[in-house]
Amino acid sequence: MKQTKTQKVILVIIASIISLIFIFPLFWMFFTSFKGMAESISSARLLPRNWTTGNFVELFTVDAASAPIIRWLFNTAFISIGGTLLVIVTNTLAAYSIARLNLPAKRLFMFIIVASMTVPGIVIVFPRYFNFRDMGLLDTFAPLILPYAASTLGVFLIYSFLRNFPRDLEEAAYIDGANQLQILRHVVFPSIKPVIATLSVITFILIYNDFLWPLLVTNSAEMRTVTVGIANLVQGANFVNPGKMMASTLIATVPALLIFIFANRYFVKGVNSTGLK
Amino acid sequence: MKISKTVSSLMFLPFLLFFILFWMVPFLYGLYVSFHSWTVSGGNNGFVGLDNYIRILSPGNMYHDSFMNALGNTLYFVVISLVPLVVFALLLALLIENIPGKLKVFFRTVFFISYAVSVTAVSAIFKWLFTGNGGYINNVLEGFGLDSIGWLNNQPYAWIAVLAATVWWTIGYNMILFVNALDEVDASLYEAASLDGANAWERFWNVTFPSIKGVFVFVTIITVIASFNLYGQTLLITEGGPARSTMSLTMIIQNTIFSQNNLGMGSAMAILMGIIMVFITLVQFLIGFRKDDNA
Repeated sequence: MKQTKTQKVILVIIASIISLIFIFPLFWMFFTSFKGMAESISSARLLPRNWTTGNFVELFTVDAASAPIIRWLFNTAFISIGGTLLVIVTNTLAAYSIARLNLPAKRLFMFIIVASMTVPGIVIVFPRYFNFRDMGLLDTFAPLILPYAASTLGVFLIYSFLRNFPRDLEEAAYIDGANQLQILRHVVFPSIKPVIATLSVITFILIYNDFLWPLLVTNSAEMRTVTVGIANLVQGANFVNPGKMMASTLIATVPALLIFIFANRYFVKGVNSTGLK
Repeated sequence: MKISKTVSSLMFLPFLLFFILFWMVPFLYGLYVSFHSWTVSGGNNGFVGLDNYIRILSPGNMYHDSFMNALGNTLYFVVISLVPLVVFALLLALLIENIPGKLKVFFRTVFFISYAVSVTAVSAIFKWLFTGNGGYINNVLEGFGLDSIGWLNNQPYAWIAVLAATVWWTIGYNMILFVNALDEVDASLYEAASLDGANAWERFWNVTFPSIKGVFVFVTIITVIASFNLYGQTLLITEGGPARSTMSLTMIIQNTIFSQNNLGMGSAMAILMGIIMVFITLVQFLIGFRKDDNA
């Protein structure tokens, strides 16, 4: 498709205008966080008339106990990384066992895995909350990390990848006397790295963005994730000061934006391989 | 290769344990509870068969009313969000595809970046943009001498706020799916079409769209599922209002369980919602494929 120079310039101009619309809410969040309360609820100006860091100071002093944002960030990072690692390890082992090893009833397991993927999450989430309540594990890290390892998507992805992958190398390693774990570690794992990278990104976003589940299973301020903590600040009596609200939203959002920009390539690929939302 | 069944099973075991504990057990538990009269505080009050389901589906009680109201609201949102999230996403992808090299990567990142923002941060931002008293949009309207609008207290404005937040948050994801699909369209098909004198619209309709149709159906299906799961935006931005008009199914299920103290009824609602979602997905799937056969 050949385009003239003029056509290209017009397309770039259109894209630039749309970009401004996309970027505006983030700019508004940024600038509002530096406005005092009186200005932030009355001004139509995007840029602050009086720049102040008062919102941030307040967040880290007065609100440090009720809204410990740094602790929330730590919780989110901890469960996102921990959950992702757990998913990778359990799903790789399981997919390898189904695709390559001598697992009894593997066809039945594969059927259950695929069938479970058609069941919407809403059917599982509330009963699972009561399971954790009955075990006395609410408000701990256990419900925030462990359930994600029940995800069947990763098993399915890795299994599909392995099925289309030649097993010559693995057989050569076997003849050389390597055991199954060594083969998995040194031969299979390096070759499934692309699908592992994809699965990591998807799982990380899923856990990082999860809202209903961490909202249900956490109670205390220090066990909240960023997502749940911010939600408390939006609701009810806390919904009074946009400046402070945006300051906390900004702190909560910047780490994710940085990861997103630097790992953009993997995100783009990650989206390509599944339709998880 | 001779591999012992024990080694194979041991490798499968960790996943199997997690799957049984955190998927199978809750799944069966939810199903079991839905056939019982069961409260959060008091536990099991006995087997009632299909009573919970029957009450939800037959008129004249509050569970029926709240479920049907939420189902209507959720379906309404699914419908109004479909065109912006699927068609606009495809238009964005087509725009990006026709922009050269480095600028393409730049715009792709900008259109996708809001996906990194969590649902609560998105809701916080949009709630303060749209809120009636002291919200930024009303401040701007008043700055131009216009009347402010009670966005979150009136329809259709409340839906507009929820829709704007949702589109801003997730359109980039669908766009990336389309961009990746467009990248794979065979370039020689375009050349052949150009030689035949096809204009831009003909090229899109006869070459591009048939090539990405599978992805188009897929994006439609996942968008419907995502919109069906509407929760965070309406919980935080509109709090289900005005007059319960943005109460979504997930919100009503949570209310039934925790506020009405009725776990049995809530579980039945969740399973009904699941059945409806599977049914709608299946219908889309069948329609998507039947059209493929005719093409």
